Amino acid sequence: MNDFNYLKRLFQAYYQEEQNNFPQVSSFNLREFGYIPWEKKVFMKRHLKFENPKELIADLIQNPPRHLYSSGSIYLEPDAREMESKNYQGCDLIIDIDVDHFYTPCKEKHDLWYCKECGTEGTGMPEKCPACKKSKFTKLNWVCDDCLDIAKNEIKKLVYNFLIPDFGINEKDMRIAFSGHRGYHLKVESEEIRKLNSDERREIVDYLTGDNISFDLLGLIERSTEIHGLLKGNFGWSQKIMNRVEEILQKPEKELEDILTDNNSFDLNHNVTESFLNYKDDFLELIRKGERNVWAIEGFGLTMWKKFLKEIVKQVGVELDEPVSIDIHRLIRYPSSLHGKTGFKVQELSLDDLKDFNPLDESNKKLDPIVFTSKKNLTQKLEITENLIPMTKIKGVEYGPYSKGEIINIPHHIAVFLLCKEVAKTI
Amino acid sequence: MSISNELVNQYPWLPSLRKFYKDTRELSYSEFISEIFSNTNNVQIAKRVLKIFEAAFNNLEEIPDKKNDNLNVHVYLLLKIMLYALNNKIITNRIANLYSKSSYNDMEHENSISNIYDICMDLGLKINSYDPPEPYGLKIVKDHREKLETNFSIHYIDYLSLASNLRDEYRKLTNNPLIDGYVFIQNKTLIRLIQEYVRNKLLIEETEDKASLKAFMKNVSQIQGFKDLYDNIKTLWENRKEEFDFTFKLDIKNKEEMLLSYPPCVIEILKKAEEGQNLVHHERLFIVWFLLALEYPVENVVNIFSTLPDFDKDKTTYQVEYAKRKNYTPYQCLTLKSLGLCMADKYKEEGELCREGYGSKDPVERKKIKHPLFYVQLKQYRSEREKEYKRNLAKRELEDSKKPNE
Repeated sequence: MNDFNYLKRLFQAYYQEEQNNFPQVSSFNLREFGYIPWEKKVFMKRHLKFENPKELIADLIQNPPRHLYSSGSIYLEPDAREMESKNYQGCDLIIDIDVDHFYTPCKEKHDLWYCKECGTEGTGMPEKCPACKKSKFTKLNWVCDDCLDIAKNEIKKLVYNFLIPDFGINEKDMRIAFSGHRGYHLKVESEEIRKLNSDERREIVDYLTGDNISFDLLGLIERSTEIHGLLKGNFGWSQKIMNRVEEILQKPEKELEDILTDNNSFDLNHNVTESFLNYKDDFLELIRKGERNVWAIEGFGLTMWKKFLKEIVKQVGVELDEPVSIDIHRLIRYPSSLHGKTGFKVQELSLDDLKDFNPLDESNKKLDPIVFTSKKNLTQKLEITENLIPMTKIKGVEYGPYSKGEIINIPHHIAVFLLCKEVAKTI
Repeated sequence: MSISNELVNQYPWLPSLRKFYKDTRELSYSEFISEIFSNTNNVQIAKRVLKIFEAAFNNLEEIPDKKNDNLNVHVYLLLKIMLYALNNKIITNRIANLYSKSSYNDMEHENSISNIYDICMDLGLKINSYDPPEPYGLKIVKDHREKLETNFSIHYIDYLSLASNLRDEYRKLTNNPLIDGYVFIQNKTLIRLIQEYVRNKLLIEETEDKASLKAFMKNVSQIQGFKDLYDNIKTLWENRKEEFDFTFKLDIKNKEEMLLSYPPCVIEILKKAEEGQNLVHHERLFIVWFLLALEYPVENVVNIFSTLPDFDKDKTTYQVEYAKRKNYTPYQCLTLKSLGLCMADKYKEEGELCREGYGSKDPVERKKIKHPLFYVQLKQYRSEREKEYKRNLAKRELEDSKKPNE
């Protein structure tokens, strides 16, 4: 039996066990379903319809897929092959936060890449190969507590800094889920949001990320060599930006200096950083009083201020996968289904659950996405097939790093994880 | 909520029109037209409608001598029927632009905010009104301090739906104060959004159903008053249409094929301009920079804007010349996408290159088009290659035909 067949049977057993607890998404029979099977070279099968969860679960037991999805949209005919024939009725707002799409410092440790053009290898997430400047990579992306924490903070930022205070969205209309791999999904289900078209959704995305913000319109202008800046008292993004500036200015000098010079952050040069630090206390007072707004730091022209504010916006905005929120025909992972690249469960969470949720070491059994933990502490023997595998810390225990050819004896849930990742084989 | 009859007379595009004019609602188009033209005020109504068309064809910004009495409702309804009968997108756009602008002017002169509030409520907009105005910030430039305050905030869903076609930077949600689901909005901006609603209300798509239109025309042509008015407008249009029926005569040597090489984002803007639809700020900038980059003469670029409702030749010429001096680079695809101006999905054929990329048969290996100017370059390169291939093929065939039979 090959490993995919083995995993398929494990997934089957899971769906069988969960058949009475399997969740039902709203407007179930109006959703389009799709799945990616285990068979290689078979792409996603879309345009499926199920009348009720019972029908779905029966199908999952019969033929357990590697990944299972349902649409954010509702249709009168979800199984029609052409989008135009589906009779579109509206779409929930879907927000996908996935560390695949943004930089986290831990990627320097655990995300490996190999340039297909010149063979150079490295860690992190470069846009181009530092050697040949091409961008054709083979990648091995990993998970760790740090990047999953960053993703969790992004989802919290989304909810508490944007969706609730700015958009006035009710908690009861939000569905949050751990994606089963490197991120979280949030779905807003409300009649009025379902009416939004893609252009309107793009506007929401821009608001959440701060993309295409106009500093000029928020008040940053130059008048006879004086720069007039933003005011903390002004509602909207002005306030968000200035709150963050204030927060940064309160940091100890050394820490602030490091942030300002960090090339993954503000990336300011030494001279400009020094004049910024000299002006720091006056700037803080100016922001707090809010009566004047002349920003006078030596070396800071309009362009430099815009660069500075752009980084602030990046820190304030939410790191989300934009096309997912704009596209009204996207499919997203079905809650409680299994992620075929990890074997972890897509775990639904309330806002309350989110606070202490720790996907790689969850103490609350009901929320634990690692479903293949052996009750009898059984281990499994695998051979590593990938050149290098980063260290994996699951349930508080570190496994690896491993290298090609290594024979390892590991607990069942780690074995499932490595097999799903396709970096090892059973022996 | 009840709205006054006066307000409906003044703004007949309000949904409450149905309530006040129930009887009219039940009439068919031709019954309504018969009723109008048997009415003692029929001459007045026809005159007013004709005046609106004259004003639109003369590029006026206002409807002269506009009255907001109860005949205004008949004028509005007849205007809509006439647009259907004329079935001409350019005319429809011009009328929609003018009529909505006129409504804007009326709303701007409303003395009380309660009328604007009533209008919003009638339109089903979720809105909050504040009297005295609610402050939401401060604007300080040098010694000048201005309190930012407003009488209105509008729910973001309604805001987005009204503002989605108006992509000016200052209307972007990001650049506006949004609290608890409501956008704080200046009175003028709110009115401008309602203007857009009115404009859309008048935009009747050109009907494809020619048979129904023909039958309708046959029916209503028997009503002399309507026929006269229709003929008058037609004559007016025939005399002026050359000025509006703009075709892109880019009579530059070797550039005839360039039109075939335009990317969907450019085609969309040119199409909108051709139909006299309003172009938003970024669309205007982009098309000017794009055409100038392809070395189109200033005069030709200016001509593109001649169909727009706010066309001012001197002003446009000055702006295009300024852009030429500055040598601006047109927006790249990423920017166009973020501005919502990328039309790759809308145009099946022309958008294929944008969607699928180029360079390899393997979808993974294909490169993406990153700039609309590169799209033109690539299309022209491909077209040259195709021509060359055809030339060589013809040459080979000719040579083969000259060979003696063996």
